[in-house]
Amino acid sequence: MAAVSGAATGGTPPVAARPPTKRDPLLQRIRSSVWANEHHLWGWGGRISAAAPFVALVLTVLVLAFKAWPAVKVNGAHFLIGTDWKPGSTYGAVTYTNGVPHPLGVSYGAWPVIVGTLESSGIALLIALPISVGAAFALTERLPRWIAEILRYAVEILAGVPSVLIGLWGALTLGPLLANDVYPFIANHVPDVAGFSYLKGPVGHGEGLLTSGIVLALMIIPIIASTTRTLFAQVPPLPKEGGEALGMTDWEVGRRITIPWVRSGIIGATVLGLGRALGETIAVAMVSGSLLATISPNVYGTMGTIAATLVTQLDSAFVDGTGFEVRTLAELAVVLVLVLLVVNILARFIIRRTGNLSVPLGVGV
Amino acid sequence: MSEGDERRAGEHIRTTPAESHREREIDHVLEALDPDRERPHDVVLSKDLSLSFGENRILSGVNIEFRRGTITALIGPTGCGKSTFLRTLNRMNDKVSGFRYEGDVTLEGASIFGPDQNLLHLRRRVGMVFQRPNPFPMSIRDNVVAGVKAHQIAKGKQLDVVAEERLRQVGLWGHVKDRLNDSPFRLSGGQQQLLCLARALAVGPEVLLLDEPTSALDPISTELVESLLRKLTPALTLIIVTHNLGQARRASDHTMFLYGGKLVEHGPTAELFERPKEPSTEHYVTGRMG
Repeated sequence: MAAVSGAATGGTPPVAARPPTKRDPLLQRIRSSVWANEHHLWGWGGRISAAAPFVALVLTVLVLAFKAWPAVKVNGAHFLIGTDWKPGSTYGAVTYTNGVPHPLGVSYGAWPVIVGTLESSGIALLIALPISVGAAFALTERLPRWIAEILRYAVEILAGVPSVLIGLWGALTLGPLLANDVYPFIANHVPDVAGFSYLKGPVGHGEGLLTSGIVLALMIIPIIASTTRTLFAQVPPLPKEGGEALGMTDWEVGRRITIPWVRSGIIGATVLGLGRALGETIAVAMVSGSLLATISPNVYGTMGTIAATLVTQLDSAFVDGTGFEVRTLAELAVVLVLVLLVVNILARFIIRRTGNLSVPLGVGV
Repeated sequence: MSEGDERRAGEHIRTTPAESHREREIDHVLEALDPDRERPHDVVLSKDLSLSFGENRILSGVNIEFRRGTITALIGPTGCGKSTFLRTLNRMNDKVSGFRYEGDVTLEGASIFGPDQNLLHLRRRVGMVFQRPNPFPMSIRDNVVAGVKAHQIAKGKQLDVVAEERLRQVGLWGHVKDRLNDSPFRLSGGQQQLLCLARALAVGPEVLLLDEPTSALDPISTELVESLLRKLTPALTLIIVTHNLGQARRASDHTMFLYGGKLVEHGPTAELFERPKEPSTEHYVTGRMG
């Protein structure tokens, strides 16, 4: 070792030439076999890693669908449009529909929880998107570096807070606070216009749609904000300077140049956050009221979501001796997967629509 | 400056006394019609300007005036402060941390750093074109009128008129008239730079700063831009930073040579290139330094 490094760093090379290792057949064989192994390692490693998420997704959906299929046969279309949730008489006689055993008098309609899922996530997105983009913009463009660094850290910590903690806080502190001090104020001061009636009426006790939306927003803000912050940091300075040199205000530069520059990325981050919100379980179960067959008449009322229903109903579902309720929950899970799928396809569509003017890969970076 | 009007120094033609008398009369009339006659000859004036970033002094004691309606080239080796100087003229350095200036720059007699100087308005009057094309992520048409919208100079249908007029002015209209709503990033580099020029012209600047506007372009596009710049005078005053001595020679009326943190020499372009007064200028323009 010492000799080699000496030869490498010393001023003049030693006179005696090194043995011609290149021609050594043994070394060559070792070399080529190492190379071949690495080659195979990379090849197969790559293939397996690339396939893993896809296989996992397909297997999950297949298992769920397989489990759910008997329930689909019994519940039929009523499952998607019905508004009742009746497990039937679990201790009574077992009946058969299309050859599937189930308790007498079952009637499962998931429409309220589907609506609840979309509503709560929609509210969460409405709250989280402007805040996240604003925060990301402030972190990259406006704040002094040391403050931005601290805040960035805070955002990342918020992303890592377990949802059960946020749910507990939402149920014990935030919900009551909002119901006592904020919601009455909103409900009393909203103008009596047709479109705003959704914001009026009884405000409840803190468990409900708006509280769920706010709690969900808190959980997805870190996701959207940290992704968007990374995107903003990658916008090259030249277009921004161009805007400044044209006499645009900082606000105009942000709105017309920086944000559009990474528009498709922001949509992607939003979908990531929306996926989290749609699938969020425990926190929503704690603050929504976890109702099964109720669509909230206004924005404050109690309701339920698909994911929350899955976690709150699973225990009692096992009571059903025919196993039908468990199968119904599997069907509900398939519906959730389909909702997520539709959201993702929609996002792709939006990206393609707006992508016409976006920046091609590699420009100015 | 006492050199008289040497704006087109190379264009003097020998004439008979009668003709020259007639020419003087015409000049007199033209001068009377000139809307700028009451205004000072020098649009931009830099008085004892020193620029530094933190402890690092970039330029010191620059005194120079930029004639209305002329093209001035800023030449000098890399790192001599050309770009810093240029970017000071529309205060693009304000945001750079550690930037300090001493002395003053005036635009039409008023300090650009003055308390009653509106920064946004200043930048509307002193436009800028950058080293590399920097289109905004919006349609071609919106790119041209981005500044017009920001300054609320025009709106609605007028914007279309502005866009067409400016695209025609830079000779891009024929290429893009059928795809005004397309992305500008599919245009070639030269076309993108022309688009940026159209965008800068759209807000009606008085002075246009060009920071090596053709350094990223091919020779044909460069020629196109250069001939275009010539057409912009005398309505506009152009100040162009360039590494390309040929370009300085071809495209400018005046040249200033910056070296070692100082303004070494400035004067009419032909003179500076043919009979430089300073040895370092001669070294640079003859290619022995740089």
